[in-house]
Amino acid sequence: MSSELLIDATHVGLEYRLSKSSYGTLKEFAISALKRQVKYDSLWALKDVSLQVRRGHVQGIIGPNGGGKSTLLKILARVIPPTKGRVIVRGDVAPMIELGAGFNGDLTGFENIVMYGALLGRDVDYMKKSAPGIAEWAGVADFLNVPLRSYSSGMLARLGFAVATDTTPDVLIIDEVLSVGDESFQAQSLDRMLELIESGTAVVFVSHDLSAMRRIATEVMWLDNGSIVTVGDPHEICTAYEDSVESSEI
Amino acid sequence: MLLAAYPETREDASSVVSGLRFVMRHTPIRSCAPVVGRLHRLRKIVANAARIGHDSHLLQQHRGTIPGGAPQSTAGRAIIMTQRYYDSAQIRKPLISEVRNLWVHRDVVRLIAQRDVTARYKRTVLGIWWTLLNPLLMTLVLWIIFGNFFRFETPGVPFVVYLLSGILMVTYWSQTVLAAGTAVVGNANILSKVYIPPEVFSVGAAMAAFVNFVIALLPLLVIQLITGIGVPWSVILAPIVIFFILAFATGLGLVVASAAVFFYDVIDFTAVLIQMASYLTPTFYPLTIVPEQFLWLIYINPLYSQLTVFRAVMYGGYWEWWHVGYGSLSAIAMLVLGAWLFSRSRDRLVIML
Repeated sequence: MSSELLIDATHVGLEYRLSKSSYGTLKEFAISALKRQVKYDSLWALKDVSLQVRRGHVQGIIGPNGGGKSTLLKILARVIPPTKGRVIVRGDVAPMIELGAGFNGDLTGFENIVMYGALLGRDVDYMKKSAPGIAEWAGVADFLNVPLRSYSSGMLARLGFAVATDTTPDVLIIDEVLSVGDESFQAQSLDRMLELIESGTAVVFVSHDLSAMRRIATEVMWLDNGSIVTVGDPHEICTAYEDSVESSEI
Repeated sequence: MLLAAYPETREDASSVVSGLRFVMRHTPIRSCAPVVGRLHRLRKIVANAARIGHDSHLLQQHRGTIPGGAPQSTAGRAIIMTQRYYDSAQIRKPLISEVRNLWVHRDVVRLIAQRDVTARYKRTVLGIWWTLLNPLLMTLVLWIIFGNFFRFETPGVPFVVYLLSGILMVTYWSQTVLAAGTAVVGNANILSKVYIPPEVFSVGAAMAAFVNFVIALLPLLVIQLITGIGVPWSVILAPIVIFFILAFATGLGLVVASAAVFFYDVIDFTAVLIQMASYLTPTFYPLTIVPEQFLWLIYINPLYSQLTVFRAVMYGGYWEWWHVGYGSLSAIAMLVLGAWLFSRSRDRLVIML
């Protein structure tokens, strides 16, 4: 079952509705709402994007800022439901849209590990048991009982990554998080990622680091303006993307 | 029945596994649905057994059994509590899916409640004592003003007991409304990054308020003893009354949270609404000073009925059956209304964050 389909997104679109600010008052709004004439500025952050990721495959996503990369990841991570199309994700998902989302500065490292793990859907007793090991991996074992607000940003990134990848998820969703932290952290986290891929985790990751993209991605998608520009071989697409960026700079 | 026994040993666990293998082999796919839910539990049980006996070979065996189970090097799989299959086209049943979410994420609800009770005052010297100190200080001031300047009198009960019971109720009621109402906006940083049903935060906050409220009954009971009115047996019913009071508050908070999708102003308005409602509740004044033509204003306020019942169980204050009926029915109705509205608007909620 090495090619089991874990992510199957078909014709996904996401519409942001920005209600027009021209309704000065509640009364005006109520009147137009009753007439069913409420107007929205419609903004399609994602248009007709299809994506299949199989077990052990690595889908890289590149593109300029505002191209819809993060939006796509949020839809795959179940954070936002798509307006159009359909998304099916099988298995445990470890989202790393932002490392340590939900960390609380007033709580200790230990309490945060347990809380973050629980937010990711893991058993609390299990988290309590594995917290020392997680802290060890992240290199913060000595600070386990210190409030998180005294951690450095590098320590926070390490800890967040350590919790998210502590179990072996079926699907790993990574948004730019590897670019934080120093080189040793980047190497360490890349190692862990390769380990997970080896054991069958499907990875979707967004990065501006094209060399990493070339090295680990099985397929790369280039998103711009909410639509797919091209999908395919990492080397070809990364080179094409580099060329387009260079030519637009000139 | 297959999973009725919790395996303590390797033998028990492997008999469960082989039993399941039998079921999987002999059950047509379409009737597998009830089995699937049990698979999650089986995974947990087998992992526990493995933890007890360090039996990795057993884990290997169970992976081979479960369709879609990936080979992996740790027992990680078994500790995932959430749904393992996401289909965006699946239609959510309102209310039912909320209740299920809360059950699936019960660990988070508990942690949030714990965090709300303990972390709020973590950087303070007095810590959790603030929970008690807050209403007590408030009562002291109001007692000086209304008990001694205005000389309000409450026949049958010392004014300070009447006052503290009212303050306690309104304090925790309003805390819960605000917490449930801002649970989505206040946790935007989490909700926009990790999938977690937002109702988890509302209910967690309500549970924290429940615990704080029950703790805060202690000073009230002490003061009842000191002033000589005593503590009747009916005090043991207080948690039930508190449950209804906070259910009403949570429901109202959810209405606020849903309405805030369309108009952010609603959250500001809520603060005003809470104040209006608490002034229209006889916390610090006796009902006898209210002119007859205004009494209806108080009677229609569900908080009045709920407070009356609360006082009745705490120190045997006056009550009638309609207070019980109106107080509890309005609480249930508000909770259902809030949960229903919330259920309908929460997808929009997260997009708007």
